[in-house]
Amino acid sequence: MTLNKSQYAAFEDIVGQENISSDPVILYSYAWRSGLLAGATKFTPRFEAIILPASTGEVQAIVRLCNKFKLQFKASSTGWGSYSDVSGPGVVRIDLRRMNKIIEINEKNMYAVVQPYVIGAQLQAELMKRGLNCNMCGAGSNCSALPIAAHQGIGHMSQSASYGERNLLAVEWVTPEGEIVRLGSLGSSSEWFCGDGPGPSLRGIIRGNVVPLGGLGVFTAAAAKIYHWPGPASLPLDGMSPRYSPAYYPENFYIGFYSFSSMDALDEAQRLVGESEIAFQLMGFNAAMAASNIATSNEEDVKMFQEFSKYVKGPSFMISLAGNSDRDFDYKMKILAQIIEKTGGQLIPHILDDPKVASGCLWRYIRSTGSIREVFRVSGCFGGEVGQTDVFRLMADYISVSGKNKVDLINRGLAYNDGFSPFTQSFEHGHYGHGELLIRYMPNPATFRTLTQEFIKQANETAIRDHFGVPGHVFGDTSHDLYGPHVSNYHIWLRRIKKAFDPNGVSEASHYITGKE
Amino acid sequence: MALADYQQDMETCCRCSACKFITLENVKGVENSYICPSIARYNFHGYSGGGRMGIGIALLEKELDYSDKLLEVVYNCQMCGGCDVSCKYAMDMEVFEPISEVRIACVENGKTLPVFDNMMEGFRRDGRLVPAAGTRSKNWFDGRKTKDFRQQKVDVIFHVGCRTSADPSLWKVPQSSLALMQKAGINVGIAGVEEQCCGGRAYYLGYKADFLKQAEYNMKQFTQSGARTLVTGCAECYQAFRVLYDRFGFKGNLEVLHTTEFFARLIREGKITPSKKINLNVTYHDPCYLGRLGEPWIHWKGKQIPGQIRLFDPPREFRRGSYGVYAPPRELLKSLPGLTLTEMERTREYAWCCGAGGGVKESNPDFAAWTADIRLKEAEASGAEALVTACPGCENSFTSALKGRKSSIQIYDIVELLARSTL
Amino acid sequence: MINKAELAEIVGTDNAIFEGPLLKEYSKDMSFAHPVKPACVLKPKNAEEVSRIINLARETLTPLVPVSSGQPHFRGDVIPGTGGAVIVDLSDMKRIIHIDRKNRVVMFEPGVNFGGLASAIAGKGLRLNMPLLPRRSKSVVGSLLEREPVLMPKYHWDISDPLACTEVIFGTGEQFRTGAAAGSGTLEEQWAAGGAQKEAAGPSASSWYRLIQGSQGTMGIVTWASARCELMPSLEEPFFVGSSHLEKLLEAVHWLLRLRLVNECLVLNNTNLALIMAANSHQKYSRTKEDLPPWILFFNIAAYDFLPGERIKGQTEDMRELAQRLGIDPVKALSGITAERFLKLIQHPSDEPCWKMNYKGGCHDIFFLTIFDKLPNLIQTMYSAAAAADYPGTDLGIYLQPIVQGVNCHCEFNLFYNYQDPAEANNIRDLSISATKKLLSQGAFFSRPYGECTSLIMNRDAATVNALKKVKAIVDPLNIMNPGKLCF
Repeated sequence: MTLNKSQYAAFEDIVGQENISSDPVILYSYAWRSGLLAGATKFTPRFEAIILPASTGEVQAIVRLCNKFKLQFKASSTGWGSYSDVSGPGVVRIDLRRMNKIIEINEKNMYAVVQPYVIGAQLQAELMKRGLNCNMCGAGSNCSALPIAAHQGIGHMSQSASYGERNLLAVEWVTPEGEIVRLGSLGSSSEWFCGDGPGPSLRGIIRGNVVPLGGLGVFTAAAAKIYHWPGPASLPLDGMSPRYSPAYYPENFYIGFYSFSSMDALDEAQRLVGESEIAFQLMGFNAAMAASNIATSNEEDVKMFQEFSKYVKGPSFMISLAGNSDRDFDYKMKILAQIIEKTGGQLIPHILDDPKVASGCLWRYIRSTGSIREVFRVSGCFGGEVGQTDVFRLMADYISVSGKNKVDLINRGLAYNDGFSPFTQSFEHGHYGHGELLIRYMPNPATFRTLTQEFIKQANETAIRDHFGVPGHVFGDTSHDLYGPHVSNYHIWLRRIKKAFDPNGVSEASHYITGKE
Repeated sequence: MALADYQQDMETCCRCSACKFITLENVKGVENSYICPSIARYNFHGYSGGGRMGIGIALLEKELDYSDKLLEVVYNCQMCGGCDVSCKYAMDMEVFEPISEVRIACVENGKTLPVFDNMMEGFRRDGRLVPAAGTRSKNWFDGRKTKDFRQQKVDVIFHVGCRTSADPSLWKVPQSSLALMQKAGINVGIAGVEEQCCGGRAYYLGYKADFLKQAEYNMKQFTQSGARTLVTGCAECYQAFRVLYDRFGFKGNLEVLHTTEFFARLIREGKITPSKKINLNVTYHDPCYLGRLGEPWIHWKGKQIPGQIRLFDPPREFRRGSYGVYAPPRELLKSLPGLTLTEMERTREYAWCCGAGGGVKESNPDFAAWTADIRLKEAEASGAEALVTACPGCENSFTSALKGRKSSIQIYDIVELLARSTL
Repeated sequence: MINKAELAEIVGTDNAIFEGPLLKEYSKDMSFAHPVKPACVLKPKNAEEVSRIINLARETLTPLVPVSSGQPHFRGDVIPGTGGAVIVDLSDMKRIIHIDRKNRVVMFEPGVNFGGLASAIAGKGLRLNMPLLPRRSKSVVGSLLEREPVLMPKYHWDISDPLACTEVIFGTGEQFRTGAAAGSGTLEEQWAAGGAQKEAAGPSASSWYRLIQGSQGTMGIVTWASARCELMPSLEEPFFVGSSHLEKLLEAVHWLLRLRLVNECLVLNNTNLALIMAANSHQKYSRTKEDLPPWILFFNIAAYDFLPGERIKGQTEDMRELAQRLGIDPVKALSGITAERFLKLIQHPSDEPCWKMNYKGGCHDIFFLTIFDKLPNLIQTMYSAAAAADYPGTDLGIYLQPIVQGVNCHCEFNLFYNYQDPAEANNIRDLSISATKKLLSQGAFFSRPYGECTSLIMNRDAATVNALKKVKAIVDPLNIMNPGKLCF
């Protein structure tokens, strides 16, 4: 189904002539492929038009028209990941750029309500003025602050500030049929503080470890839990791009990189850190990622990586502490020292010896600006493996197995050689964990094919055979149909959700699940 | 270089949208978090730095041609370089250069906007991008003792720029500059009515061949004069001489300074001393072409090393906006007794554009005014009484935008205040 | 009509009751739900029996009402909504299946009560984030599925906590495991791999456990659940703060939780605290209540393995600084009640059937979620409604439980009454309805609707009802699971 003139005019009537385009110039700007798993084609499949609604009402009207015209739609916010792309023609893309307001910050009750195009940096900056903070999507503060936008919504602060699935409160949802469902207290009392009820929680429909990636309607606003911020309302920076560092090392903060002799030792350390509730952030970054975070060019990155690798002798993590008071901070530092001693951790020298470098690192992890460097600077492209969320050691073991498969890719010249250490992270004070394997490569068809066929196949076989759950890379019919029979037939239930809420198949679901028989 | 030479840069774009915002470490809130006026105004991704990368690739891949829509998107961009700085915070890739090359490709393919073609006709005829109506009968230097550097030996060439020459409301600035230089005993010369355009804006409109011709002409004049230093008060001219002329091999050993750099130096040397109090709380606007785009050119010739990481042989350094002219204007302002400097939220390499650049003022004055208006709001929010800048284009843009709104904020060129305090 | 012999064959004749006083017991509870006698009561022992029951019920469209807690019941959710229903009483499924100290999680069957679970996990240094004084017969699974508020908001990251995974047999007769438990592999295989059935979300892009919670048995029957545990503290320092200014206490609650200073944290009015402490003694209740301030905040500072003394000392000092700033005075005892004693009491399930029955025999609860700012007005509304119904305000019990790390607050009004007096019972019933209406209109969010007010509550949000019906049609298209509850 393609968009004809009268249909175009109908959409135009909703958003205004300025806010819809099917001109190839505009479409191609969206169709340039994502840096995530690049290498197959330069441009994503053609779609019909791009529409920019300004309100939930406009989104609803667009969705209803799509139902009427039997067109599909797919919405995105900043549109970074390849899951924002469509599978083929007949789809109208909805760019939520104009829905970019912070609707409410409720300090007393610790939640913030945002529209989809509020980015993490904006929300965090506003919150910090009020002594508050939010979990930031690990991909970066350039991403949406909506806890149901990012693929998983895990971030560097998840140790103390959880992640999207659990930070989500009330949600405003335009369903694929064009109904507006306001979850929880929003539907009953126009308040945003709760996303559950009355009765069962519809949060269970709209996301799990991962979000529906555009395949289940449009989320036009949501409330997110926010957290205390003991740091300054605003941190003045010294230096110029790309080398900023805070003008001063914020009081009662600490950051360190530690390496351990084995995963057992690191696991024990993260367990103790979690149980003692001392960490602000705990990220199992490896030497390559540390180098990429601090370096401001690839040249520098390569040198730093070589340097850091000399000191990092095993699995490592970055830990940051934030004290709510001097006493709190002193206590946390003491406990950290005890845990490190007990588990044989080694403070990695040279990485953060310079307080300017250390504070710069600390701020970059808080503001989550380093991920683009860590992941994309090398070549503009990456692939790899993303585990799900589960207990830490299980996730660490899974991603370590995947790490071994990366060696083969490196040896075959298909990936950048930055070692094969995965990175892990702990969240909610060690109750959960997550792991990812970064594979950076210059976009090319051979690596793309190897990653999407061989590597993913190995990752799938490992996950299923060795009981590692359903990794984060699993989306789309084929993957769900592969995992489902081994995982309580969840794919059947997911498909039932899709069919129940999108009987016309209007919400383009190439990255979710379709209602196919 | 041509657009095709930047294909690998463009294809390094990962679609992160960082180019839309100021360097994220500096975001202080929702307000003042954008860097790109184009995406902020027009919303479609195509108007952002990243979107323009996709468009550039599509052009190279022959997926797009030079349609009216393409021109509309291409020329609704102030060429401010903000996207380039924000991208290069994290990435090793060019953004501004391919955006510029797309314009060059448009012109080379005979596609541009009529308003620019008209301007270029005048340029080719008169050597000026801004028609110099009235310059023969009245000029900024009338009644002033001046030297013609083409005929008399001078140490310093003072280049005013065609925008300033053509606008009597801006004349107080070059008049002040000249007076200050003369007070400092500088042996300075001008070209007077024979001054020709630097060609910088022509380049950034896409008229590369015209620019090269103009640069050659100008440098011949400058070289023949024997002057060692060229000083200009126009940020665009500064960027042209300092960066473009160097890039294309014209500059030679000519020292190019902006008036702020020059006067800051003179103050340090004690040759001028601001002594009269200027009781004013000001905020300073960094002109794009003096700041992030005024960073010296880095000559590099090499190639990308094949492999899985973008490395170059020889190693390539990227211009990231770090070394523009940021300190001298501030140093200068701080030297004025009684003056308080309050910074806006977006400054230096991540300053918001005044709106005038890239031909936008000529082709889409509403968009230019919209952009300037946002900066004015930011200036007002700083609490400052005056917005001070160092470029006639910026001054003009802000002054025009002020006409449309109620505001008590005053607009000054930095040299005006210096002159007030010194002369 | 479901075949008795087939049912008896599934669970054993001793576990299939078709007549006698037991049926009457299951036909009513302490709520105002209209009594409906079930056709029978079944007591399955395992998931396989449950599955067979459901599949048989599907064939005959027989309503099933799952029950896991023992008597007394209070909410009306386990009273059949229609005739011919079969009670599926899971209280004999009492296994504690797996305890994992490292991953701080425990797995257990629906018949396990809080006392049983607490002793099992205490041995591993673990504890469950518990509700306030659950009755002896209360099923832990039942409590988790009801989304009952818990005492330690600090460890209540999400409203669903501490529930982790479940095994459920949906109304379609299909078995499903939620969260990480879904697979791959059997539970044993997952344990061998290092799995712990801890992650509640998923698998993949949906979180079925959230749909089972709050469903009052209308989606399926849960045959086991896992729950995240917290550590047993090695040192504790509890405090009371008494005040007549609720706003001050709420401000304190906000900061205590925001700074993560405290574990247990709740607010009671004097009626409720006195009742809790007085056990069955009316005299003691009156005396205690007289001495108590109108509002009492209770909180507990705790420490674990590392430098517990230093942690307690530091956090107590931080707390005292906060208290001074807020103008409150934390004390170790109030009106003869020591904070330690209260803490010990609430860290265990109730010894008695239910403390709420001690005063007048009956108690009807009105509870909802709200935010701190709205509480004072809502409380005032309740008092006004009580006054209008001639219910003495001094008899009203109030329990405020901050949840989800302070993002919202469970507000509970306990209407104590003589349930054997029909006139009084009717008055309470009417008061409950009128108060609920008023509270609803002022923005109280009744996230867990029960009894007669259910349709009043659900009807406010037609879009959610519509969506829930779609979910119901997925998991129980024949509507055999507890029909008549919620909006089904």
